[in-house]
Amino acid sequence: MFTYVLKTLWRHHTRTLLTVTGAAVAMFVFCFVGSVQEGLHRLTTGSDADRSLIVFQENRFCPTSSRLPEDYSRKIQEIPGVRDVMPIQVWTNNCRASLDIVVFNGADPQQIQKTRPIKLTSGNWQQFASQRDAAIVGRNVARRRGLKTGDQFSIGDLSVKVAGVFESTVPSEENLIYTSLAFLQYTRGLDAAGLVTQHEVMLTDDADPDAVATAIDAKLRAGSVATKTRRKGAFQASTLSDLVDLIGFAHWLGYACVGLVLSLVATTTVMSVQDRIKEYAVLQTIGVRPMRAMRLVLAESTILCLVGGGVGTALALAALGIGGFAIGAEGATIAFRPSLGLAVSGAIVSLIVGFAAGLAPAIQAATVPIVNALREA
Amino acid sequence: MALVELRGVSKSFRKGDETITPLDDIDLDIEAGEFVSLMGPSGTGKSTLLNLVSGIDQPDSGTITVDGTEVTKLSRSKLADWRAANLGYIFQTHNLIPVLTAYENIELPTLLLKLSSSQRRQRVELAMEAVGLSDRADHYPRQLSGGQEQRVGIARAIVAHPKVVVADEPTGSLDTETSEQVQVLLQRLNKELDITLLMVTHDTDAAKIASRQLVLDRGKFIESQTVVA
Repeated sequence: MFTYVLKTLWRHHTRTLLTVTGAAVAMFVFCFVGSVQEGLHRLTTGSDADRSLIVFQENRFCPTSSRLPEDYSRKIQEIPGVRDVMPIQVWTNNCRASLDIVVFNGADPQQIQKTRPIKLTSGNWQQFASQRDAAIVGRNVARRRGLKTGDQFSIGDLSVKVAGVFESTVPSEENLIYTSLAFLQYTRGLDAAGLVTQHEVMLTDDADPDAVATAIDAKLRAGSVATKTRRKGAFQASTLSDLVDLIGFAHWLGYACVGLVLSLVATTTVMSVQDRIKEYAVLQTIGVRPMRAMRLVLAESTILCLVGGGVGTALALAALGIGGFAIGAEGATIAFRPSLGLAVSGAIVSLIVGFAAGLAPAIQAATVPIVNALREA
Repeated sequence: MALVELRGVSKSFRKGDETITPLDDIDLDIEAGEFVSLMGPSGTGKSTLLNLVSGIDQPDSGTITVDGTEVTKLSRSKLADWRAANLGYIFQTHNLIPVLTAYENIELPTLLLKLSSSQRRQRVELAMEAVGLSDRADHYPRQLSGGQEQRVGIARAIVAHPKVVVADEPTGSLDTETSEQVQVLLQRLNKELDITLLMVTHDTDAAKIASRQLVLDRGKFIESQTVVA
């Protein structure tokens, strides 16, 4: 009987193709929206989001406006619960929301190698540590900007030599470019000798992040610049607050896509059943049970949805994998990554929507008054 | 006991303010291996009677028993199972599934039975041979003539080895020559394969091939003639 379902779909191949295409486009968008939300979720709830703190200048937002003394790191290091402190100078080409944000983080190369979850896929650490204008570039930035090891890369007043390209288990890391701290502090126009944008504080396993954050701000209150210390996840969520609202709203777009697939497949299946109502009456006359007739229709709508959804999801995952897309603001970035979760949710949504879309026409096919339907021309 | 027994079967329906009673307290017995034709003016309940025997319609009153099973008491689902195993239906307009080949159309009823694939294949081949269509197995309905389509319809009706085959004006949409070929085929199936047939027809020539001819008018049988072979 499965042959019958497949042949029926093939018989109306134009209608089938249009429905599959519509479902694919909608599921493509659904997966893209899902990847943005996953990216935000990863950024704000990742493993280091709660076990690291960011010390930033009080009442400042864009990295260019936060200027903290570099030697604050020494004072922070003295606070109980602090395992390590990394002063970071941040430079970004755009403080506003952008799809092609370039963010430089200047820090001690050895600390970067020790504390960051990154692995060089090309180039070497030694060149990065020894050459003043050397930079290691995240895989996504390298892909977007077409960079490889050995290239010279200039943006604004910055010009660096690519000493390596790295990948990371934390997707947002792959949107960063690391240089040495001194290089970024002495870059023309920054005038940041002895100053940094922020201090990243790594905590000991037993430390209470909020208590340590309060202690840091209290200790530095007597310093030249007041600070605001937050968990890294909270800091990034706050930095991206405008985008967070937008991304929160975008999940409605995801639901709209699901609704679109539902109505599209339901319309096709209803039309298909109405066109063939006599056929279902014939099938039941020769002995097909009503429940079996119902299953035939459900199989039809589910196949349409699974094929369309599968194609859309696969294309979205491929585009996300190849494109290295990211959105960022004020130096923080959200990476759009393909994931198994997206693939599974795409398949599950397709399956459920396919089943739901076929339910009403399936009931119609199963309960068709046989004698009346047979009389139809 | 007759293979098909109708006792006190009545069926009526409303058409506007009027109540039409195509079948009024009908009794009928059809013996195994019998070929019964049913004639009568349009709207006198011939097809209704056929539909009731097939279990695709329900009487207002009375009982219908086929081979000991009272079909009027079966649920819609059970009726479908019963039809799959016991009844073959030949439609006037063939009603083949357009996306399936002749072979697949004929195979369809066997998919509803517990048969192995080799048993299915054997039955389909036998049915195709019986109707003389072995060389058209891979043809789609649109590639067949009206007569060939009807022969596929007949093969589909007999492939499951049903106890009863009902035919609703099987020659009604065919030209004279093809109609005669189908009549001969039905007669042969009845005699050679001992298939019990109940056929509705408007065609007096077609009716004559049956072993018993019934005429229905205003809800009652008005004439019955048995042909002695």
